[in-house]
Amino acid sequence: MRLAQRIGEGGAYVLSFVLTTFVIGNAFHQKKQFYPAVVYLTKSNPSLAVLIAQALVFVVLLAKLTRKIFFGSLRTAEIEHLVERSWYAVTETCLAFTVFKDDFNAVFVAMFVMLLFFKCFHWLAEDRVDFMERSPLLGWLFHTRVTSLLTLLALVDFYFIKKAYLSTLLHGASAQLVFGFEYAILITVVFTVFTKYMLHCIDLYDENPWENKAVYLLHLELITSGWKFGLYVVFVGIMSKVHTFPLFAIRPLYLTMRSFKRSLTDVIMSRRAIRNMNQLYPDATEEDLQNADDCIICREPMHVNGGCKKLPCSHIFHASCLRSWFQRQQTCPTCRMEILSSRPAASPAPPAARAAPAAPPAPDQVPPGAAQFQQFNPWQAFPNFPAPPAQPPAAQAPTTPPGVPPCCPGSASSKPHARVPPSISTKYKLPSCWWWSGCSWSSWLTWCSSISLHAFYVHAPSSYANS
Amino acid sequence: MAGASLKRLMAEYKQLTLNPPEGIIAGPLDEDNFFEWEALIAGPEGTIFDGGVFPARLIFPTDYPLNPPKMKFTCDLFHPNIYPDGRVCISILHTPGDDPTGYESSSERWSPVQSVEKILLSVVSMLAEPNDESAANVDAAKCWREDKSRFLECAQRSVRKSLGIPDL
Repeated sequence: MRLAQRIGEGGAYVLSFVLTTFVIGNAFHQKKQFYPAVVYLTKSNPSLAVLIAQALVFVVLLAKLTRKIFFGSLRTAEIEHLVERSWYAVTETCLAFTVFKDDFNAVFVAMFVMLLFFKCFHWLAEDRVDFMERSPLLGWLFHTRVTSLLTLLALVDFYFIKKAYLSTLLHGASAQLVFGFEYAILITVVFTVFTKYMLHCIDLYDENPWENKAVYLLHLELITSGWKFGLYVVFVGIMSKVHTFPLFAIRPLYLTMRSFKRSLTDVIMSRRAIRNMNQLYPDATEEDLQNADDCIICREPMHVNGGCKKLPCSHIFHASCLRSWFQRQQTCPTCRMEILSSRPAASPAPPAARAAPAAPPAPDQVPPGAAQFQQFNPWQAFPNFPAPPAQPPAAQAPTTPPGVPPCCPGSASSKPHARVPPSISTKYKLPSCWWWSGCSWSSWLTWCSSISLHAFYVHAPSSYANS
Repeated sequence: MAGASLKRLMAEYKQLTLNPPEGIIAGPLDEDNFFEWEALIAGPEGTIFDGGVFPARLIFPTDYPLNPPKMKFTCDLFHPNIYPDGRVCISILHTPGDDPTGYESSSERWSPVQSVEKILLSVVSMLAEPNDESAANVDAAKCWREDKSRFLECAQRSVRKSLGIPDL
């Protein structure tokens, strides 16, 4: 099957070469001289078709060669990914052509083919670096390939952004605007992939598991997806102003918005998990650990100075393992006890309960049993971060006041929340922030686009306003 | 030092090779990629699938063990809890909040306590005792409930096919 496919492919290349040779030979045979032959070639439609096909074959061969140099053979998952994404990219490109039907010419098509070409390599680089987490064996060839590819891609992106910028300044808004934005998105991808690569490398060559890597990855994701989302919003705004509403940008806009929302939720959940862990659960003592097996999450042994946490149900885990689990679910991995609704007061002297009466200025106003509930307060979604897991929580709880979320004034002091009845505070334990989770998608989209449009109309540069 | 997911998968692979449970073989397809495994499951003795050897693919997420792997039989298997395309529908492979059939209690869902071995053992017990209350393959569930002899026939056909023996 694969052999037949290969033979077919090779046959197509050979056919294309033969046809091109024939067409050029025929032109020179008929016209004898160089210039008339070239004119004949460009005027004759069949010859031109053959030459364009030949150019495409060259592009494909060049792509294969570059792939061979930078990636070796592709994995099945990578090919599937590539095909799926290219399919969308081609459809969107066709939609984009309709917007720029006045600029439509050979150069324009060539630019789009080139963009697609570079996009493919960005996607492949992304997949390759994500694969680092999965493979135990990575040689020097892998590192050389990744670093050289990323450098090259960054240079290409930078060149095209600069070109698009200068062209827009000199000749006003044109299709170069689309290219400029596309390459700006791509250079963000290069930045993300490179940072991820660095993180993975640090992790690979460190003796101990790197606990905070997941947190750094989350924040990287948040920053880059926010930046991409912003870029798309600005792009849609400018395009709507200069040309017409860019239909082809809707899907990527929606996707980046979704990933931005997801990474924001992830970061909030992660911060909450860290805060809960540092404040609610005591570090495991040596005698706790003597009776305990390995950490059930990572199957590694636990040590006293390794930052292990004991849950109210007296199950013990690594703090870092527990943190990533709490980001997804708020139950004990072993017995599935709901850790947020359980009362840590039941366990012997939880540090949070000890520290809590010192935090509010008027401890006598706090009703009994409310102290532990202030930790579950949903409004305190942004605590100070990152808190070192090894630090004793008892000393930390009073000195690190939870930060103020932008949506809820007054939550900096924990005093008002100390009086929140348990029923209310537990009711809101899961949603991250009302302004975020409460908004529906459509209203978000409308809101974002109206803000960007408004901002654009008010502060539009004069060059756009004139064009 | 590699990632925690990779380390745990390596540890599980070692465990499965040193003390393999009866009737189960599992391991990565390619040692370059520990996140795709192949498993061979023998039909439990004395049950309808006795004698068959069923190959399956396990695909692990990068955040394993925080999220469950996906499991898919790569052979034809007529069973109420296996989708016609081979995906396995058992509660241990679902995270709480993800309940395709609406019958599962959260206590039997995925958690990091589970492991490849436990998943495969659950699949073996699922082969032995189909659960027609949460059917992934409705035809198979109906057949199992109403027409045991035809179900037995289909199961035998799956067994023969898995061994490469032509139908009678």
